[in-house]
Amino acid sequence: MCRRLFLFSLFTAFFLLSISVVAAQEPVTLTLWSRDANQAFVRQLVDAWNETHDNQIDVTIIPSAEFVTRFGTGAAAGEVPDLLPIDLIYVPEFARAGQLTDISEFASELPYFDQLSPSHVRLARYEDGLYALPFTAEGSVLIYNKGLFEAAGLDPEAPPTNYQEILEAARAIRALGDDTYGFYFSGACAGCNAFTFLPLIWASGGDVLSDDGLTATLDDPEVAAALEFYQQMWNEGLIPPGAQADSGTDFLNAFTTGTIGMAGTGAFSISVLKNDYPDIDFGITFLPGREGGVSSFAGGDSIAVPAGAQHVEEAFEFIEWALSDEVQLDIYAQTGQLPVRIDLAENEYFEADPRLTTNAEAMALGRTPYSFVYNQLFNDPNGPWLQMIQTAVFGGDVEGAVSTAQERFTQILSGQ
Amino acid sequence: MASVSTLKRRESRRWSWVTTGVLYAICIALAVIFLFPIFWSILSSFKPPAEASASPPTFLPSRITLDNYRKLEDYGDGIGQYLFNSTATALMTVIGTILLSTLGGYGFSRFSFPGKNVLFIIILATLMIPFQSILVPLFLILTNLKLHNTLLGLALVYITFQLPFGIFIMRNTFDSVPRELEEAALLDGCSSLSLLYRVMLSLVRPGIITVGIYAFLNAWNEFLAALIFMTREERFTLPILLTSVRSGYYGAIDWGALQAGVTITILPCIVIFLLLQRYYVRGLMAGATK
Amino acid sequence: MTDQVAPSVTVTNIARRTYRRRRNYTGLFFVLPAVLFTFTFFVIPLIMTAFMSLHDWPLLGERKLIGLDNYVAMANDRQFWNSLLFTTRYTLLITPVIFILAFVLALLVNLPLRGVGIFRTAYFLPVVIGLGTSSLLWVWLLNDRVGIINPILSSVGLIDRSIVWLADPNYAMIAVIISVVWKTVGFTMILLLTGMQAIPEALYEAAKVDGAGYLQRIRYIMLPLLRRTFALALVLSVIGSYLGFDQFYIMTRGGPQNQTISVVYWIYTNSFTYFKLGYGAALSIVLLVILGILSLIQLRLLRDDTAF
Repeated sequence: MCRRLFLFSLFTAFFLLSISVVAAQEPVTLTLWSRDANQAFVRQLVDAWNETHDNQIDVTIIPSAEFVTRFGTGAAAGEVPDLLPIDLIYVPEFARAGQLTDISEFASELPYFDQLSPSHVRLARYEDGLYALPFTAEGSVLIYNKGLFEAAGLDPEAPPTNYQEILEAARAIRALGDDTYGFYFSGACAGCNAFTFLPLIWASGGDVLSDDGLTATLDDPEVAAALEFYQQMWNEGLIPPGAQADSGTDFLNAFTTGTIGMAGTGAFSISVLKNDYPDIDFGITFLPGREGGVSSFAGGDSIAVPAGAQHVEEAFEFIEWALSDEVQLDIYAQTGQLPVRIDLAENEYFEADPRLTTNAEAMALGRTPYSFVYNQLFNDPNGPWLQMIQTAVFGGDVEGAVSTAQERFTQILSGQ
Repeated sequence: MASVSTLKRRESRRWSWVTTGVLYAICIALAVIFLFPIFWSILSSFKPPAEASASPPTFLPSRITLDNYRKLEDYGDGIGQYLFNSTATALMTVIGTILLSTLGGYGFSRFSFPGKNVLFIIILATLMIPFQSILVPLFLILTNLKLHNTLLGLALVYITFQLPFGIFIMRNTFDSVPRELEEAALLDGCSSLSLLYRVMLSLVRPGIITVGIYAFLNAWNEFLAALIFMTREERFTLPILLTSVRSGYYGAIDWGALQAGVTITILPCIVIFLLLQRYYVRGLMAGATK
Repeated sequence: MTDQVAPSVTVTNIARRTYRRRRNYTGLFFVLPAVLFTFTFFVIPLIMTAFMSLHDWPLLGERKLIGLDNYVAMANDRQFWNSLLFTTRYTLLITPVIFILAFVLALLVNLPLRGVGIFRTAYFLPVVIGLGTSSLLWVWLLNDRVGIINPILSSVGLIDRSIVWLADPNYAMIAVIISVVWKTVGFTMILLLTGMQAIPEALYEAAKVDGAGYLQRIRYIMLPLLRRTFALALVLSVIGSYLGFDQFYIMTRGGPQNQTISVVYWIYTNSFTYFKLGYGAALSIVLLVILGILSLIQLRLLRDDTAF
């Protein structure tokens, strides 16, 4: 027994020692925490910085679902990174909670400040301060399978521009066979539908929240109209039955099987399709409104400096570098990432693939709901937004869905 | 794998070929059901990414590729680092859990002391709280002990959460060891500790193996604590790597990467479990009482 | 060795009763390391959680002491009660399935068949995968477009069209139960097996001499002697089912129509989706109390003449 105890403590000591040795060898660096959705790009960007600068940045990639939990827990114990790209929809809440450093002074000195993605900047404002700047940009668009369009007798260069046209195209594609479907959306994924369904409402001139994000406007007739549109497609069997159970796992996968005519998606899918599924000939167009008009959900990450970060000035340097012309073009655009500056939406790299330009333009004209309870409203899989869509589309009760959602939204908003 | 008593039993057993055949058929059928999802997953991991999520699914891969595994290379410091972290943490957890559970189980089984029942309940209660609930307080404690971002700190937490199970099992195991053995040893003048070490240990080996295996598996697969308590990526463990590699925007999953992850997770566990098979041979206990 | 076999009294129990337990502090030293660990990494955080439950404690931002308001709110929280009901139903459903299957499997691998170690490994293998990964695996298998289960079932004629398992109110719960049983039954099997192997062979021999058949030997010798192991396995399984989260979060997302939101799922939603850590903490404390009571009841019921 004594011998075993001795061995155990020796073992433990060895590990403690090796761990502290490793720790002592680390240079003083900046820390950056990012979610995993865009990890390849973030690593690439940071590598480029590390190669050309003395200050090094140490990246930690955290699974998206646990990102806020990780930050909150860390903040509670005083362990925060120097740089924190956050999903932009969280910035108002983080700012209100005092978790971010006010960077309005630094930002105002940037020459291209007015060209930064308006949605990102708008969501980074709280009271009189500015708490984040755009880091990565996403815009929702409608993706369509040109091959299926052609096979169905539709013009692959003339994608739908309103609900009716989508409906007709979906019917034509569905008629191609048992395994092909006209349209797809993830029926159990709250965030996916904020991304791809809200723009339909916006493009039609409606909205679900007031501008200041404090009042719910789900009783807007365009909301019901959009729900009825989805409901019709579902009832006609134009959408695969499995969509009802999809919590987001097949958000991209469905389209990549090559058996879906149209779906809402984001810029991230463009490079995935080009690299991993080169057989699919796809097109990108704007998400349309009921009778025309276009809109998009401007998403992506905004980068902030958490309150209590150790290296604030150096963090600013990185942000300024990332937003500079060279980086936005040579690193972002060249690798198929949307630049966060709308003056760079059209650039030499995107000329080769106009789909990217379309996506960038979508992001530029895109909108984003400003809310301190975004999670509770739009991201909660058991929350009012997803419940409304499910009740209306799969359950067939549009009126009831809308009124329940309006109630719950109002309840949540008033509880702030 | 057979012990003396097993052989004896085979001689005296009068099973017909029919019975044996039926039993084998049942066992094999069940084995197929249990193994199929895993087998299917491993098979699909070698399909090209597009085929891994094809609709309708293909049965055999059109070609064998390691594309899904290559995705693991690009993450952070490389899979080697995370394998090391996982292995180190798991080993520390196993050693610590076995140590504490054996000592504790023995204490609860053979002794009477004030507060015994209360302490047992408290230890058992560790099972009853979902980990998410004490995440933040635990992190605060670890930070205060300067154990955050250390594999040791993570292992200590894992050990604590293995204790209810470990002690419960070891206590039960010790309980079923007949007293005559102990009495005999005590009469010979053994102290409690050396009694435990010399006499009991071999008798309770199956229990120890069970505790060890379970401790290893939990440490190997645990995700949330490993993610929250480690503040720098170089300390991440395998589950975090596997989660990040397969995740995309809005919960989109790369099925091919999932299959690769399943395969990688399973392999060391299969090896270990197969190596430890012999400790489950029947008759280990029977021999002791004769 | 004993010639007779009485249902719940064995040689070891008789020996135990006549053997005086050493009543001093030696035992305490043996359990001290475990107690220390539990204290540092469980009791103290638990106290902190209880402390948090008395506050309006957001994940980010300032906290506010509100006393027992969280507990009062819980009484009116319909989702909480629904979750409790659902979790109880789920546990009542899945526990017998796991135990019956585990017992049968344990009996099978306890047989002196050649190569039984391979079967043991096969049945145990799913345990080796983490629950999160296993749940995702089943989402993939059950997927109506890329999953293999629907094609297999229709090729053997069991179904005529693809079932969307996780969206169908009839099948969602079954699908979750199948995936959880698949993943966990091997573990219960090993527990029961360890208990079975602790039973001395001689007892069975003696019973056989007396003319007891296989089922009788199981009923009168094995089951009573398995009581402690059974109690352990049952307590662990019930607690595990009650704390179920990953399977619901990943497979059904609490659906369809919020019907499969377990208690821990609700705790998670409050703590990390709504960022209301204080309320989540209060829910956790209540859950702990419920589980504590449940476990005590189980252990009491399954006592075998010694203080549990």
